[in-house]
Amino acid sequence: MTLPAPLFELRQVTQQFDRSLALRNITLQIFPGERVALVGSSGTGKSTLIQLLNGTLLPSQGEVWALGHSLSQGSSRQRRQVQRQIGTIYQQFHLVDTLPVIHNVNAGRLGQWSFFKAAVSLLYPLEVEAAAKALHRVGIPEKLYARTDQLSGGQQQRVAIARVLRQDPVAILADEPVSSLDPELSREVMALLRELVQEMGKTLVISLHSIELAQQYCDRIIGLRDGTILFDIPSFALSAERIRDLYRLREPG
Amino acid sequence: MKRVVLSTLLSLLLPLAACTPDSSSSSNEDAATQPLVTSAIPDQDPEKLQRLYSKLADYLETELGVPVEYKPVTDYAAAVTAFRVGDLDMVWFGGLTGVQARLQVPGAEAIAQRDIDADFHSVFIANTNSGLTPIDDIAQLATLKGRSLTFGSESSTSGRLMPQYFLEQADVNLDDFKGEVGFSQSHDATIQLVEAGTYEVGALNEQVWNSRVQEGAVDLDQVQVIWRTPAYYDYHWVVNPDVKERYGEEFVGRVQAALMALDPSVPEEKEILDLFGANQFIETENSNYSQIEDIGRAIGKIQ
Amino acid sequence: MTRPAVDRPSWLTPRSRWGLIVLAAIAFSLWQARVFEPNRFNVGGIPQLLRFVQASVQPDLSLDFLQLTLDAAIVTFAYAVCGTFFSIVFGCVGGILASEVWWVSVLPRHATRPIWLGIRATLAVPRAIHELIWGLFFVNLFGLDPLVAIVAIAVPYGAIVAKVFSEILDETPRQPLIALLNSGVAPFTAFLYTLLPQAFLDLLSYTFYRFECSVRSAAVLGIIGAGGLGYQILLSLQSLRYEQLWTLFYALFLLNGAIDFFSAWLRRRLGSPSRLDLNLRKQARSRGSGGSLPDAHPARQPPERDRWLVAVGLGGLLLLPFSFWYVGADFSKLWSARTLELLGDVAQTAFPPNLDQSQWQLGMVAVQTVAMSILAIAIAGCGGILLSFPAAHTFFLPGGLFTPAQPSWRDRVLAWTGVLGTRAALLIARAVPAPIWALVALFVLFPGILPGAIALALHNMGILGRLMAESNENLDPRPLVALKAQGTPAALVFLYGVLPMTLTRSIAYILYRWEVCLRETVIVGLVGAGGLGRLLTEQLSSFDYRRVVVTLGWFVILTFGVDWVSGAMRRSLR
Ligand SMILES: Nc1ncnc2c1ncn2[C@@H]1O[C@H](COP(=O)(O)OP(=O)(O)O)[C@@H](O)[C@H]1O
Ligand SMILES: [Mg+2]
Repeated sequence: MTLPAPLFELRQVTQQFDRSLALRNITLQIFPGERVALVGSSGTGKSTLIQLLNGTLLPSQGEVWALGHSLSQGSSRQRRQVQRQIGTIYQQFHLVDTLPVIHNVNAGRLGQWSFFKAAVSLLYPLEVEAAAKALHRVGIPEKLYARTDQLSGGQQQRVAIARVLRQDPVAILADEPVSSLDPELSREVMALLRELVQEMGKTLVISLHSIELAQQYCDRIIGLRDGTILFDIPSFALSAERIRDLYRLREPG
Repeated sequence: MKRVVLSTLLSLLLPLAACTPDSSSSSNEDAATQPLVTSAIPDQDPEKLQRLYSKLADYLETELGVPVEYKPVTDYAAAVTAFRVGDLDMVWFGGLTGVQARLQVPGAEAIAQRDIDADFHSVFIANTNSGLTPIDDIAQLATLKGRSLTFGSESSTSGRLMPQYFLEQADVNLDDFKGEVGFSQSHDATIQLVEAGTYEVGALNEQVWNSRVQEGAVDLDQVQVIWRTPAYYDYHWVVNPDVKERYGEEFVGRVQAALMALDPSVPEEKEILDLFGANQFIETENSNYSQIEDIGRAIGKIQ
Repeated sequence: MTRPAVDRPSWLTPRSRWGLIVLAAIAFSLWQARVFEPNRFNVGGIPQLLRFVQASVQPDLSLDFLQLTLDAAIVTFAYAVCGTFFSIVFGCVGGILASEVWWVSVLPRHATRPIWLGIRATLAVPRAIHELIWGLFFVNLFGLDPLVAIVAIAVPYGAIVAKVFSEILDETPRQPLIALLNSGVAPFTAFLYTLLPQAFLDLLSYTFYRFECSVRSAAVLGIIGAGGLGYQILLSLQSLRYEQLWTLFYALFLLNGAIDFFSAWLRRRLGSPSRLDLNLRKQARSRGSGGSLPDAHPARQPPERDRWLVAVGLGGLLLLPFSFWYVGADFSKLWSARTLELLGDVAQTAFPPNLDQSQWQLGMVAVQTVAMSILAIAIAGCGGILLSFPAAHTFFLPGGLFTPAQPSWRDRVLAWTGVLGTRAALLIARAVPAPIWALVALFVLFPGILPGAIALALHNMGILGRLMAESNENLDPRPLVALKAQGTPAALVFLYGVLPMTLTRSIAYILYRWEVCLRETVIVGLVGAGGLGRLLTEQLSSFDYRRVVVTLGWFVILTFGVDWVSGAMRRSLR
């Protein structure tokens, strides 16, 4: 069986921050259509990995490839071309609070829009129907013109998802998208994400705190510990022992 | 290194600390050692004023036998107010400020003026691009209507009061000028702004104009005199009556005599007279300024 | 096809209504300034302007003059220290008395609104009057004493500080205070143990900001003979010695720059990065999201024992007696019988106010003043916003939001030049006193409102640009990074991220500064612009105190108006 070309590929990636080594020597491939969960305790490099995948960070060593392009090479214009195909959802939503929802949703299109169109739309919103559709999809159609900072946390995360819908990328990255939400909302948002990914055949890379959610919604689970990959297995193969391993405190010495 | 910094700092500080005003101690000190404080309205180059008045203070100190001090002031109104409050004993005022000061301090006297002050003039200058040409009759000031005009300071006699008076004599009101009339705040700034063409016409002290022309500081292709006003009384020394209490009844007379005794044939004294732009000081009296007072009242500068 | 579930909201939101009013006001002011008439530019003055600019490269560096400059700089600095000290003392007392929370604690069962609103309103009176006018007034009481300059700074600044402090206190969470009050602790003690420590950092960083402002005011106050850099500048200007003028300017730049830098450093150390929060924090606090925000807003931690900070604090405390000694003001005059007597004299010459003039005409003059202030603040605001982006170190420097991931050597040099150049421009703009800008503007513009507005605009742009740059630097970067990560070009990250995130705060700063511009119209009288400032200088130089009182009354009314409008606009921004 020949595998299709990987959508993302990390080749011996090490990420060094001023004081800490966040990821060490990671090699990893993610293929189209996969739903991959990143699990591990906090501080193990999940967010760092996601930032490497969407080009926010450039690795200290090694190479990151996305959609067949190296993110550390080429002009910034070329990198932007690739980034347009990658949508990201964050734990803290990362929306522009002071703007009405519609602009945050339409912001998904900014990679495509001309400056002129974007500027006009700020004054007189354009492509309203498409934005409304995306909001409808995430279940808050009535919030189209509300100010973003007046929405609840769950609603804001929906806006963030609607923004990714508008972006219509090949891959969706999500960095602990439900950690700021209560359990009920978490399940709703996860269900929504899965639905979207399945319907539209997108690739999903999602970091999660909850192993149950990971098992329930993803088909591949990568366990990270101390910046290295502890395991990379199909979700059905996840055993209690592995989980214990993953969260075990590092032995002293 | 540290020591150098410290000692420079100290050497800078000490003279300053020494000359910071210390009026709180004055009350319990012997009245005779309390200095006579002189000052002058800031009508021209203050550095020159500083040099001039330091020399004059030295001269007066030896003549009068009391310490004399010069305190610079940068605002006309502040000079008058400080005179009223009693911080300044003897001030070189302009015509208008002198009257204002005397009216606020009952008993204050005008005691001396320069020989040139009895025959003082202002000049109207114009930017050459304005097309204005010299006039020889006061009535022709009417040609200035519709032009832009700047005075010097609001309280200046030669840079505002008398020029405005002569304009009104020719039936030209401030409303007749283009836009608002400007107040450049000094004679030198008036020259600059007219030379620049910002204002088409300016009015200033003739003495300042002449010395700037002599220094070559004026571009005579850009700006020229179009009219010289008739003569009027201007600058003079005004003395606060408080000094009589402090140094004796006859003190005012002694100051007056000392000023008039400045002798152009003595080199040091000639230097002082030169800095004043005078050949000698002559006597004056309050009544010489009644015309100024009337004009001041008419124009609203005196209440 | 889904139709949008909601209709487009109406154009006429409170915001857009204010926007239209602002545009109309600016258009009206431009018309008042005769900007639409031809030939506003005076080409003939370019040689003078050049001569002025040329002198900047050949300042007078003779030893004598440098010594004089150094001394003047120390004097200005010392005045600022003393002035700030008193304004903070006034401000603390006034701030507590003008705060809602104080009266609610002291008189819990009464309707206290009229009391603190009344006190706040009273504070508008000293604020409405420029330092320079206060200075001229205090010469009447203290004569030519350095005390004049100190009190002239302390009175209006004390009122401003009181206003800001009271707002800070009212914004601080009250639960701990109420808990103490309910357990029977006396109000003042309860304040001391709850609100004051809670608000301390805000109060302190505002104090530093006030100090920066005091230095600039002390420079202007030199004009009434207080000495210092402003005095020397005026002297050099009156005799048009541009070379000396520039030496003094450089000293002002250094002084202002050093103090701004130092105060920023201290505030960073203290963990309170913003000079002036303008009540926008309430909004931030009430934001629904909950959850801690990890990296972007580092939680304010009380400074640990920071040895540097302690050293600097002690040094600062030493500066106070040094400054008082250096200035050598005679504080006994504050309570001497003679002062009271002189105050009686002034009161007698000033009352009853002379209401002979047509108030209608005065109103028209007031309109000119307002027009100048609107024009000034509009130019200053736009310029400040524009320059605040290149001046912020978080945008264009390597590692910044808008820099390529791997900047070349040339990119780095360019980026640093850009940032430092903009900052230098802002520093120059704010360090040079407005009356000097007025004279410079007059060389190349014909007299009227426009040169005055430009002079005020330049000075205030320097201040606003600096404040805004700082708030840009404290911006939450995450939404911007998110936009960038989805392939948005830099220009659009700016349009959809940076601009909406900063604009509200920038506009709040602008509105706050408008009041200052109004007051400062008094000191650019030489531009021949008319207005209340012109009238006031004329009345002051005529010792017509009965009319001076009336004109000042107009200033107070205008300040009330400006306060009200700016408050209403700020509320609509929330
Ligand atoms: N911008 C950064 N600067 C410095 N250190 C960082 C930065 N981002 C992450 N780190 C460090 O890298 C490590 C991994 O962090 P992160 O990827 O956020 O972990 P996770 O998302 O799994 O909780 C942590 O030790 C963290 O402190
Ligand atoms: Mg994380």
